[in-house]
Amino acid sequence: MRRAAYRGLILPGVLAAIIVLLAIAAPIMPLIDPVRQDIAHRLTGPSAQHWLGQDEYGRDVLSRIIWGARVSLSVAFSAAAAAALIGTLLGILGGYFRGVVELLTVRAAEIVLCFPPLLLALLVVTLLGPGAGTLIFSLSILFAPGFARVAYAETLSTRALDYVTAQHALGARTRRILALTVLPNIATPLIVQFSLTVAAAMLLESGLSFLGLGVVPPAPSWGLMIRGARGAMEQAPLLLFWPCLALTGTVLVLNLLCDRLRDALDPRGRAMGRPGFLGRVFALPPVPSPPAPGLLSVQGLTLQVPGPNGPIEVVRGVSLSLAPGETLAIVGESGSGKTLTGLAVMGLLPAAVTPVAGSIMLTGQDGMPRDLLRLPEPELRALRGRDMAMIFQDPSSSLNPLLRIGTQVAESLRAHGTHDGVHDRVVALLRQVGLPDPERAAMAYPHELSGGQRQRVMIAAAIANHPRLLLADEPTTALDVTVQAQILALLQALKEAEGGMGMVFVTHNLAVVAEIADRVAVMYAGEVVEEGPADEVLAAPRHPYTAALIASTPEGEAERLSAIPGAVPQPWAMPPGCRFAPRCAMAQPACTVTAPALEEVAPRRAARCLRWRELA
Amino acid sequence: MTAPLVRGEGLTRAFHRRGGLFGRGVPMMALRGVDIELHRGEAVGVVGESGCGKSTLGRLLLRLMTPTSGRVMFEDRDLATISAAELRALRRRMQMVFQDPYGSLDPRRVIGAQIADGMVIHGLAQGTTVQDRVAALLRQVGLDPGHAQRLPHEFSGGQRQRIAVARALATQPDFIVADEPVSALDVSIQAQVVNLLADLRGELGLALVFISHDLHVVRHLCDRVVVMYLGLVMEEGPAAEIFRAPAHPYARALLAATPSLRHRGAAASPLAGEVPSIAKPPSGCVFRTRCPMAQPACAQSVPALRLLPGDATRRIACHRAEEIAA
Repeated sequence: MRRAAYRGLILPGVLAAIIVLLAIAAPIMPLIDPVRQDIAHRLTGPSAQHWLGQDEYGRDVLSRIIWGARVSLSVAFSAAAAAALIGTLLGILGGYFRGVVELLTVRAAEIVLCFPPLLLALLVVTLLGPGAGTLIFSLSILFAPGFARVAYAETLSTRALDYVTAQHALGARTRRILALTVLPNIATPLIVQFSLTVAAAMLLESGLSFLGLGVVPPAPSWGLMIRGARGAMEQAPLLLFWPCLALTGTVLVLNLLCDRLRDALDPRGRAMGRPGFLGRVFALPPVPSPPAPGLLSVQGLTLQVPGPNGPIEVVRGVSLSLAPGETLAIVGESGSGKTLTGLAVMGLLPAAVTPVAGSIMLTGQDGMPRDLLRLPEPELRALRGRDMAMIFQDPSSSLNPLLRIGTQVAESLRAHGTHDGVHDRVVALLRQVGLPDPERAAMAYPHELSGGQRQRVMIAAAIANHPRLLLADEPTTALDVTVQAQILALLQALKEAEGGMGMVFVTHNLAVVAEIADRVAVMYAGEVVEEGPADEVLAAPRHPYTAALIASTPEGEAERLSAIPGAVPQPWAMPPGCRFAPRCAMAQPACTVTAPALEEVAPRRAARCLRWRELA
Repeated sequence: MTAPLVRGEGLTRAFHRRGGLFGRGVPMMALRGVDIELHRGEAVGVVGESGCGKSTLGRLLLRLMTPTSGRVMFEDRDLATISAAELRALRRRMQMVFQDPYGSLDPRRVIGAQIADGMVIHGLAQGTTVQDRVAALLRQVGLDPGHAQRLPHEFSGGQRQRIAVARALATQPDFIVADEPVSALDVSIQAQVVNLLADLRGELGLALVFISHDLHVVRHLCDRVVVMYLGLVMEEGPAAEIFRAPAHPYARALLAATPSLRHRGAAASPLAGEVPSIAKPPSGCVFRTRCPMAQPACAQSVPALRLLPGDATRRIACHRAEEIAA
């Protein structure tokens, strides 16, 4: 990916090099003297001798554009570089030290922003007299505050990061922290700012020269050329075209160059674009609808994401089932595919993820089983929030901060056709989820509630329409343990109150599984490796991964925790045989060759291991 | 008993939330007078829920933050009064490991350079010796020394946390504060990092302050535990004792609320309510609003941290300590 980012630099780099080389080489090129006048042939069009024609004094336009580039480019670059240097320094110092330093640096620089830029430039030029030096000086004053602001804002957010604190903890001097840690990490937006500034400086230079305040005639500059051509616009419109083309072209090349430079400097490389959304129905083979036992039945669900070397299966052949009134926990580490499986049930998969096989049958409130994977979006939307609802991990980002709690809960009622007595129902719901003083809570905004209370609100909205299926994705991970215990107790109580509601509980925490689940599906690297009643699985696991997870949970009396060596394999580098084999203490040569199937190991229990019998 | 390596005395820290246009706002007391001692080679676990001040305490001990009142003594030196140069030099001996292994490493520098930082800053090694030391450190934390030239994003969360540990070890410190170092990691990886810290502590004789919200993890690693609530120490004592029989009502509730594979049904009687805001702490005992044992007297005065009657190793801050001990 990084190589691609560097390759992207070639085109704008070559173009920029050509422009700069032309400007540098102007004195040694066989050009006509840019100030030599030829009044007899004034305003003549392009000819063999004068490729771009002659201007109002009969001077050669091509020669003037190339010589003018020297002036325009050097003024713009020097001004932008000086502004970047001064502005960045002020911004970093102000952002890092805050307080008085901030007042003296950033706030002082901002005063400049109060003046109209052209007026300020005019003032300076009038005071110091026209010329390239004055121009650079006034332009750098004008553009420095922009850099100061960007550097300031970026430094503020960077200095709070742990790696900056880590440098401080190592005993590094402030100088070192600023130069080695802060500066490289705020460079990206500054580079973008630089490209914009060079472009703006060129335009302003042209403008000032055009007003007669910049470069002194007869020295050529693009601004002066535009100024001269304007007078003869009606006789020779092309004269205006050439300098404008040079200006626009250079600015565009610069912008492109800086954009690509930013991509190349990012250590993670350019973000991969999302592939277009192809109807997921097309990717799926038609499946004869299997009979839907119970509430939810997932069969052979396989999910793919596109990768550089062909599609990658992030979830492979996952089958799950849930009876009414049951709680199924999907447990696994990051990268196990547990969250994607949950999102697939809700029909909320990210655009890059495509289901390519399997079916998800849900029995709705009307008793009709439907295959959610093959359901058109409008019908799916009608099911969401009514037949199935979801609770997310982070309650603070899943509530709209601008709307009152009551409004947000009422929304889920209104979306499904309840319009009478909404307020009373909302208050009743908030009371049901255990919010103290529900009347007042309905009028509160999300920020007035604590994390645990917000999660209660999310639960209230989710159960508003008595869903058949409640999907909870790590609902207690962001909460404190004493609050987690409350939420788990609440979910348990709700399930009993809402007779027949099934719950799918996605979590990484085995102890929470033990607390809440009837059945558990353990996922590893995109596959279900073990499934069965929670009590039995936790008491006597039939897969080495489940056993190892239980052993590594820090609880027992053992002095030393038993850790699973290594890490979860990356989805594009899955081991050929059993996906857990490289980390498994029981692995044999056969395990690295044959991918085991999910086998029934006892009634309603399954495991994906060649050697499960030895674990029994 | 020898003198402690690090000692915090009456540590208090207030934060000011900006109130209105000009006002400084209400001070929020993140820490309200905490004493803590740490001996060479000792591991102390600091446990509590969000807002209890455990991270603030860690940063005060390293003087990454200055206390509003109270002082931190490192050996016999007061970290508040020594000169900036002395403090910088002292930083070689105290290090920190952060919670988020994705945020604590500079994304733009290769990990070898980041591990070497401490040695370069303190002039502990030059040239090829630095490379050798970096390789040795990577090996010590269980990583391939050949990976020194890679960038942080090429490593997994657990590996990054090992890199962060290697960086902390580079200056051969005597004292490390680890702020929730395994909370962001998967369970199977957590165990790896906890074991690594336990091994290093044994090999190098490090003094360790291990901050965590997970009691179970602390139990595996620490000699002593400090249980905090709303900026105050509720209970302090030997880890084994506190886990066997927590004395303070809060310590009991915290242990009971932690879900467990072995004792199901912890959620049966959860503690009511949530941690009050540190801007408006309750009067008297800060825990009284959620305490199952609270009496009217608990609202009157703040209970002092005192020895649990009949136990010379544990201290609790509770008006009803006598009844608890009985």
